[in-house]
Amino acid sequence: MLYKVLEKNGYRDFVKSLISGFEFIGPVKKDRAVHDFKVIKDFKELDTAYIRTTIPPAKKILFPPDEELVCYEIGENIDVKPVVESGEKILFAINAWDINGMNFLDRVFTTDFIDDNYKAKRDKLIVIGMDTEPAETNFSPSVGAEFATGGFDLYMHDIGDRYFIRVATARGDGLLKRYAVVKDAERNDFKEYDRYMDNYRGRFKLDVDIKSFYDDFEVIYDKKEFWENAAKDCYSCGSCNLVCPTCFCFNVKDDMELNLKKGEKTREWDSCMIPDYGLVAGGHNFRPTKENRLKQRYRCKLKTFKEKYDRYACVGCGRCIEACLANINIAEDINSVKKEVSA
Amino acid sequence: MSKPKVGIFGFTGCGGCQLEILNLEDQLLDLVAAIDLVHFTEAITEHSDNYDIALVEGAITTRHGVERIEKIGKIAKIIVAIGSCAVNGGLNCLKNLYGTAKAKELVYGDKKDWIDSIDVKPVDAYVKVDYYARGCPPNRFEIVDIIRSLIVGRKPEIPNYPVCVECKRNGNTCVFELGMTCLGPVTRAGCNSRCPNSGSGCDGCRGLIDEPNVNAQKDLLKKYGLTVEDMVDRFNLYNACREKNIAEKVTGGN
Repeated sequence: MLYKVLEKNGYRDFVKSLISGFEFIGPVKKDRAVHDFKVIKDFKELDTAYIRTTIPPAKKILFPPDEELVCYEIGENIDVKPVVESGEKILFAINAWDINGMNFLDRVFTTDFIDDNYKAKRDKLIVIGMDTEPAETNFSPSVGAEFATGGFDLYMHDIGDRYFIRVATARGDGLLKRYAVVKDAERNDFKEYDRYMDNYRGRFKLDVDIKSFYDDFEVIYDKKEFWENAAKDCYSCGSCNLVCPTCFCFNVKDDMELNLKKGEKTREWDSCMIPDYGLVAGGHNFRPTKENRLKQRYRCKLKTFKEKYDRYACVGCGRCIEACLANINIAEDINSVKKEVSA
Repeated sequence: MSKPKVGIFGFTGCGGCQLEILNLEDQLLDLVAAIDLVHFTEAITEHSDNYDIALVEGAITTRHGVERIEKIGKIAKIIVAIGSCAVNGGLNCLKNLYGTAKAKELVYGDKKDWIDSIDVKPVDAYVKVDYYARGCPPNRFEIVDIIRSLIVGRKPEIPNYPVCVECKRNGNTCVFELGMTCLGPVTRAGCNSRCPNSGSGCDGCRGLIDEPNVNAQKDLLKKYGLTVEDMVDRFNLYNACREKNIAEKVTGGN
């Protein structure tokens, strides 16, 4: 890791040259409630002071809601071609927990099986991180996701009159050399950065007892009443999964043209909270009730992947809490486990 | 099934569902090449009573309509109801809320006895419906998918999840957050969240999902300061025929 400093008065030129030199994706104010990550052509559209985005930026760029995987043509032979689309892009001003969400997806899509579509997009994505103000529902520090140690090229911390930049890759260093006027960070910059980080960490207000949930999960597992109560208002609408930076489940569909000669296979985001997710051929459903499904979701997030990858499949962004019309709150549910177990 | 004979029939409704088929444009020629079209009320004058698949648009609201749909039921091997009126009765069901006799009097006055009008019912009240292409208007691509599935012999994929799924896939801000009401959480998807995409709430034109969580509605009403009437009116717009105790359902019994 290299550490550089960019003066505030050099910021505008740096970003403008990135916008004109690359496909540049950054936060744009969408409506009164949220921001969205969009391709930006004009510096004026960029608004890095965002708190919420409905859909996590990395998820929609690396793992789009609808994605063609394979196209085929049926003639004398059946001709099948993989479709892998990717191009160099800059993802600008993504925050630490969303970078950590992307790092989790990296594990899923490139560990046991390399997903070519995901990997091609990921390899070509230049990631420039930036801290944002945590929402009230954010509990990233509890799951260790408020700070990103990797998964980006550059990370810019706003320490007052200048940016303290962590440079994680040669590609990031190359960008700075070519497009910005920076100098090496000095003792004073590091001190300022440490002070900034202490202050930033203090701005996260929500604390969840994640360890107790992990330790007590097996105890709570068979407490039917606990799950019935937690899931009673669930609409089974999947909103929590679909806005989650780490949810990766998808369904593959076959779209054949009416001439029955050509077609494509596409994948689309799926959700373990909708009833048909656990439905298999023959009509059996492995998770027929909303209690089953909520329990599965929490287990996947807070237990299964902690065991498998030693990291939670939750970055504490709080999007699922905000998206849930039934007020199901993962932070409250985690905290209630300890009470339930000791009761 | 190769090159099935298909008839497209219209009953009480605006005719917009048949129009959606004509709106297929890019796919229309492929569609008529893949099937043998023997009747299409809105588009062709030829007619034959020999068909395998009947696509039926509109609700059944007259005695004459009952005779026609029963005849179709005897001929067709497969019936597909297309659009909210055929599937759930649609807007026509608002007549039932008045009472048919009163509605006839209001509209036709002393000529009311000249008019053949009965209580509105969806198509499956008279004949067995095999597949439903829901919506007002229906999603034309879903109609194509149903026909294609029938040709290749597989089950059409009709979503059994709420509109929220599509809204989230499309990155929409929840319309409740924008200060509007929405039936999306209990309404069957498949429209690609058409109304929320353009900034208005879902009116439930595709009907309820299989297991709507009606208990959660009460808290939702409270959270967003809505009245029971708001919700009941919204539900009744498209679902008055199908969901008899809608008020009770949307308020969780209160």
